[in-house]
Amino acid sequence: MTKILLRDRLDDCITRWHAAGFEVIGPVSKNNISQFAAIEKADELDLGAILPGRTLKDLFFPQTEPMFRYRIGKQQIDTEEYLPPERQRIVFGARPCDASAMAIDDPLFGWDYKDSYWFRRRNETVIVTIACTAADEFCMCTSLKLAPDSTLGSDILLRPLEGNRGWLVEELSQRGSEALSRIEALLEKEAAKPLPPADVPVKFDLEACREWLQNPENFESHFWKEISMRCIGCGTCTFLCPTCHCFDFQDEGDTYTGIRRKNWDSCSFALFTMHTSGHNPRSTQSARWRQRIMHKFNYFPGKFSLNSCSGCGRCTRECPVDMGITETLQEITKLSK
Amino acid sequence: MSIQEQYRKRAAELLASGEVKIIIGYGAGSTPDRRRALFIRSAEDAGLLQVDQACDANLSGYLVSEGLLSDRKKVGIFLRPEGIRSVNILAAESQLDPLQIVILGFSDENGSLTPLQGSSVSDFSALISTLKERRSTPEEQELVEKIEGMTPEERFAFWQAEFAKCIKCYACRQVCPMCYCKRCIVDNNQPQWVQTSSHTLGNFEWNLVRAFHLSGRCVECGGCDRACPVNIPLRLINRRMAQEVLEAFDYFSGMSHTQEPVLASFKKDDPETFIL
Amino acid sequence: MSEPFEPKIVAFVCTYCTYAGADLAGTSRLKYPPNIRMVRLPCTGRISPMFILKALQKGADGVLVSGCHPGDCHFTQGNYHARRRWTVFRALLNFTGIPLERIRFSWISAAEGVKFAELISSLTEDIRKLGPFDQYKAMIHETEAPVSL
Repeated sequence: MTKILLRDRLDDCITRWHAAGFEVIGPVSKNNISQFAAIEKADELDLGAILPGRTLKDLFFPQTEPMFRYRIGKQQIDTEEYLPPERQRIVFGARPCDASAMAIDDPLFGWDYKDSYWFRRRNETVIVTIACTAADEFCMCTSLKLAPDSTLGSDILLRPLEGNRGWLVEELSQRGSEALSRIEALLEKEAAKPLPPADVPVKFDLEACREWLQNPENFESHFWKEISMRCIGCGTCTFLCPTCHCFDFQDEGDTYTGIRRKNWDSCSFALFTMHTSGHNPRSTQSARWRQRIMHKFNYFPGKFSLNSCSGCGRCTRECPVDMGITETLQEITKLSK
Repeated sequence: MSIQEQYRKRAAELLASGEVKIIIGYGAGSTPDRRRALFIRSAEDAGLLQVDQACDANLSGYLVSEGLLSDRKKVGIFLRPEGIRSVNILAAESQLDPLQIVILGFSDENGSLTPLQGSSVSDFSALISTLKERRSTPEEQELVEKIEGMTPEERFAFWQAEFAKCIKCYACRQVCPMCYCKRCIVDNNQPQWVQTSSHTLGNFEWNLVRAFHLSGRCVECGGCDRACPVNIPLRLINRRMAQEVLEAFDYFSGMSHTQEPVLASFKKDDPETFIL
Repeated sequence: MSEPFEPKIVAFVCTYCTYAGADLAGTSRLKYPPNIRMVRLPCTGRISPMFILKALQKGADGVLVSGCHPGDCHFTQGNYHARRRWTVFRALLNFTGIPLERIRFSWISAAEGVKFAELISSLTEDIRKLGPFDQYKAMIHETEAPVSL
């Protein structure tokens, strides 16, 4: 018999989770932007949007993070580490594209060096995902072989019921079961039928694209210049992408003391690959755009058997000049035929 | 003939005759209400050009993209009046030769588009002079006044809340035609004037520096405001600075391609109301 | 009774007028508060608004920028450029909520030792009354704090 969670029980759930020591986080619309923030009451949540403007990666890989403070003394350098705080968190209301993006980045952050900042936060966070019953023209999860009700990366999947009365609950992991055990009494047994997931048409042929990208003859194709002529080289697509993970270190301080920080960086920035010698291997915007596409759909899958994209569509939704992954892959699909 | 048909014909003529090597205009975007920058090199592609109210981006920034003008050939470009001001400023700051720019100008008056007569920057001086007298939109003016009505603490809190959202994507900088520095001040670490991290202090400093560097140069095309993915009301700050240079120095940017930049020039009797 | 608040004030001054004026205050044995740290530049025309931001970033409670009177600049026109810059930057600071009483500008010549000493005294008292620049310091503390989310 399936279990459901009624919407009017949500406040009680939050109370119980708080009592069990969890911080509850969800999508909040405030000050003209929707992003993940800690909440006290259910009415702070904005669960009606297609997806929040900012991504789940903010919770695991913040845009700026102090790593350690250093003090340069006469004989030695002292350091004092900043570690993410120890706590338990529940994210309520992630979307399948955002949750799968976290699972896509796990092998990256655990590849040759286990990033303790990432994993500490991953291990203490339960992700409760709500399946999508609506999509907009920019969504493309299905083109990436994912779906509006994908379970990848989620600990609990909630499927919306009719009339906005609540959700059908699916336990997906040990962590999810533990979180559910705290609110067991608030769930109801009901053979409910959830709303069907959103219809997201497939927009490009991913396999054909990968093959085209792997062909060395296409690396120098004039296509790259044509497709990226209007790209202005900002970091919007990379920073709002839930799978993008490049970072830079900055020491902020004085001659003898400061804090080393890990900050988001973007392959679209002109200075991304600038060497101290002054040579820049990716000196044109088209070379940088090519790198972005190659990394996401050729090199990353080559290493990890996963595409570095979950189809959320934020790149195109937010791009100031209407670029994004979709158009490029649609053109490559055409070229590959 | 609609303005779109008129300009498609003109664009085709310019390309077919070889007068310009490329035309930078607007084309259909990924949704019906979006337009994207279009770069066409042959007359057959002129049919792809769109000229309508959704064409609001200031395309002049593409004129200073790497190498576009270095072969000394002419380039055609679709511009609204603020875009024409941008070209004047770029010329005055020695970033391009105005003789290489063929302008296909249009303006949006009360909901309908009209083509502008002329094709080189000097043809539009009269038009730009009339713009100097124009006020901002009532909504903008209302918000500027609301902010000015706050106490300094309230204002600081307002901007802190806005700048806390900033993610340092630099979309505001990249989309701005006036931000053409090969190495922005924020990208320098010898010395590091502005902290690059996006904590509130770093964001505050970044946005202040950019607003200062645009003072007396910004043409208020709204590009930065539209580009910002976290909806910071950037155009308010730039609007306030444009107002300041107008009130203090009677200066309106982009009036001609030889106009001296406001902060690179002075008058012996410039106002000084606050100097002790 | 707690100790009185001692403001930290950074002064960016030009070499040929204000710095010389400060020297004169010293040689004349005029008393002025020690709260001010002077940074000497060749001319006010060299003073970038970045300097003011940097002073605030490092915890200054007040900033003074001072140079030659218009017409008397050692480099003929540096202070004219500076004057325009200050007008514009001041409007920006005001719009973003930085109290203008904390950022001051003056013309002090090499002969005005008395004016220098008096200005520093009154400025120090003004900033003392305003108190520490807590709103800015809160932003500085955030840069040293661990990530909240």
